[in-house]
Amino acid sequence: MHARILRDLRNRTAVAAFEVQRQAYRHITRNEQLPARIRHQAQLALNAFPHQTRPGNVKNRCLETGRGRGVFRDFRLCRYQFRLKALRGELPGVMKSTW
Amino acid sequence: MAATTHVAKARLATLAQLTARLFDNVYNPTGVRTGNKVLRQRLIGPAVSTYYPDWYGKEPRILRKISRAFPELELVNVANEERIDELERRKRRGKGAPKKGEGKRAQLGKKKK
Repeated sequence: MHARILRDLRNRTAVAAFEVQRQAYRHITRNEQLPARIRHQAQLALNAFPHQTRPGNVKNRCLETGRGRGVFRDFRLCRYQFRLKALRGELPGVMKSTW
Repeated sequence: MAATTHVAKARLATLAQLTARLFDNVYNPTGVRTGNKVLRQRLIGPAVSTYYPDWYGKEPRILRKISRAFPELELVNVANEERIDELERRKRRGKGAPKKGEGKRAQLGKKKK
């Protein structure tokens, strides 16, 4: 298996585990009605989270090859694997177009 | 003239306040940011953690479990065996990993002295 898939898996579990906590801190930092000191502390706490827990760290990868670019969201495959599978008839509802 | 507009403004404000209360809206005339936007967002955790199939990244563990449960099958981790074989082949060709102190980095350090 592609090592980058394993890395992404770890990122995903971390993001899911810390999401509620992060959103709570985010709410505090974005709330202008709270004192500036508290908001600043919340921002610092947010910055102190491990990098893995940031949602931007998650990358949709190809399930077959682990490729990170040109991945179709609906099929979770990169464009070449998508083509191969579609031509083999393994993707229901996908047809090569002719006109 | 000025006095009347002032009164009208105040009354309009109370009117807005009342309508907001009646229709369950938030009365926020100065547009202060409350951060409620964050609370309104949907949690992405469930979607994010189900992108890969459940068994992804667990194959060695699953294989170990099965081979422990059924030792008579004599299962082998094919990918791992292949990897070890490849390493051996590389070593025979002299392309294996260098020993400690013989790598590129270490050579650079030696040259400087």
